[in-house]
Amino acid sequence: MRTTVFVRFALRVSSLLAALASTEYAAAATLEVSVVDENGRPIEDVAVYATPAHPVAHGAGAAASHAGTVPKAAMDQEHMQFVPHLLVVQTGTEVSFPNGDEVSHHVYSFSETKPFELALYKGDAAPPQLFDRPGVVVLGCNIHDGMLGYIVVVDTPHFAKTDEQGVALINDVPSDDYVLAAWTPRARPTALPPTQQLTVGKETVAVEIRITGRLSPPHEHNVSSLTWERY
Amino acid sequence: MGTILTRAWPAAALAATWAAASVSAQSDRSDRNEFYLGASAGYISASTDLSTWTEGGFSKLRYTDDGFNAFRLFGEYHGRITPTLRARVVADYVDDASGGIDFTEAVIDWRPIPKSRNQQQLRFGAFYPSFSLENGDRGWQSPFTYSSSAINTWIGEEIRPFGAEWSLRRRLEGFRSNHEIRGFASAFYGNDPAGTLLFWRGWSLHDRQTRFSDELSIPPRPFTTAPPQKLKPFDEIDHRAGMYAGVEWRYARRALVQLARYDNRADPYSFSNGQWGWGTEFDHLAVQVDLPAQLGLVAQWMEGYTQWLTAALPDGTRMPISEHVHDDFASSFVLLTRKLGSTQRLAMRYDTFSYERPAGTAPEFYGDEGDAWTLSYRIEPTERFSGGIEWLRIDSRRDILPMFYSTPAEHSESQIRLQFSYRLAAPAR
Repeated sequence: MRTTVFVRFALRVSSLLAALASTEYAAAATLEVSVVDENGRPIEDVAVYATPAHPVAHGAGAAASHAGTVPKAAMDQEHMQFVPHLLVVQTGTEVSFPNGDEVSHHVYSFSETKPFELALYKGDAAPPQLFDRPGVVVLGCNIHDGMLGYIVVVDTPHFAKTDEQGVALINDVPSDDYVLAAWTPRARPTALPPTQQLTVGKETVAVEIRITGRLSPPHEHNVSSLTWERY
Repeated sequence: MGTILTRAWPAAALAATWAAASVSAQSDRSDRNEFYLGASAGYISASTDLSTWTEGGFSKLRYTDDGFNAFRLFGEYHGRITPTLRARVVADYVDDASGGIDFTEAVIDWRPIPKSRNQQQLRFGAFYPSFSLENGDRGWQSPFTYSSSAINTWIGEEIRPFGAEWSLRRRLEGFRSNHEIRGFASAFYGNDPAGTLLFWRGWSLHDRQTRFSDELSIPPRPFTTAPPQKLKPFDEIDHRAGMYAGVEWRYARRALVQLARYDNRADPYSFSNGQWGWGTEFDHLAVQVDLPAQLGLVAQWMEGYTQWLTAALPDGTRMPISEHVHDDFASSFVLLTRKLGSTQRLAMRYDTFSYERPAGTAPEFYGDEGDAWTLSYRIEPTERFSGGIEWLRIDSRRDILPMFYSTPAEHSESQIRLQFSYRLAAPAR
């Protein structure tokens, strides 16, 4: 009889704990990050990512593959340019490189994060590449000098890229303490990415990140009236 | 027989590459082989008192008679031996005195995959130095006008290094990421007679590129020792390597500045196989800027000198009294261009040119001085067909003309050129 009462009690406590845990787990909010330059002007195409203080407790492990399936992303080539110009992925993501142009590309990276080479291909002929280390990967094409792309590999599932208004929305961010960071190829390369510590609860958190120092103008895709590529 | 063979083998090579390109088009998805064919013809209306330089005259125009002409027929073949090793040949057919089919370029480019931000390239073969910002189209054509500027006309006539070029390109990082720098250096063989045409004929503006074994006509001179009957500008005479080198800065697709120096290091005393060595050196500055209102600006400037000792005789001996040519030359142009929509283009260019004996050095009648205006409109209604009209006017003064050729010193030559072009790329552009 005592046993039954104890079991009942235990069940009740455990269900209460479970309920608590699930509310705790469900407490996720949106992070609204604005990125501005030193004059307060918004910056587009900036990678922003929030790294949790307790990644394991929230299932936000370092590598995405821990979650089971391998996440996938694509870096296209259109009109002799990488599209998007900047791609953010979580560590452990497989990125494909479909070539939408009529001509072949020869995509390469010499970045320490992920050196690779996809020799002369068209369409979907190139095998996807696994990005299993965090860092920045600079992409080029050995045939078309004007092609330049970036893949930012981050150790968190909570990332986004700023839009034209310089705003990035990172949705479903569980409650925890985070380190928020921003990266753009337009900043001084020696500068550390600006970071900010914050705590996410149940409400949307709006944060502003200011990137100081000189920025280069955005990468241009414009069609010029002159010939720039040497053949 | 020998001549027939030299004329026939490029044709055979062309046919073979065409066949290779057709086969690869079906079997290979990547463009390891690529063939490009360009043909242009049209009507010329010329106004000049001089006869064409292609037949040994003094005119700065390629065509001095009104009528229909086949301007150029060329094939360009790109073949990838490996993904980083590419072979490229360009063969031309022209219908003037030299005639037949012959090559204008034959080069192997090696671009290893960069291991750092430094991107290197090695080229071997016969190629154009990358000085000419006008001639960025297939077969070294200009996408802006039909006739090249005085500078690039001369480069097309007499400058073709047979050798190697190394270049290193580096894209800067971070807040300078739109900036790019490049350096290049070349050592080459041949090109020893370069400068001959500037002395004998002077500057000109046209679209004819000298093929490897072309023999160009030179105006007759009634004095001085015997000139070569025909000029072969790419011959090696003194077995001394020539060189050129340069640096370039580029800002995205907005601005480019290049500074280069060329020296064929030819011995001005040398003579071999009917060709004299002309020691020719020049400095070259090239600028390209993308301006507002979709205007593009291209400008080049060149200044140098050429020297030749007329005393060297074909038998290797020297005349006791000789004339030492040591003349200065300079030219520059500014071109403005604008695309109208995606199929039409307007271009306007102003050229200046001079060739002169340094002051105080007699005789002083060797000069060639003048300027030129070019206006052009081009339209490409379809991928394969294009057309356009170009007006060209050249004003020049040569004091040698009244002295020996009973022709006025000053000439104003003009030309209207109506052109139709066809191009075909297989399997990919």
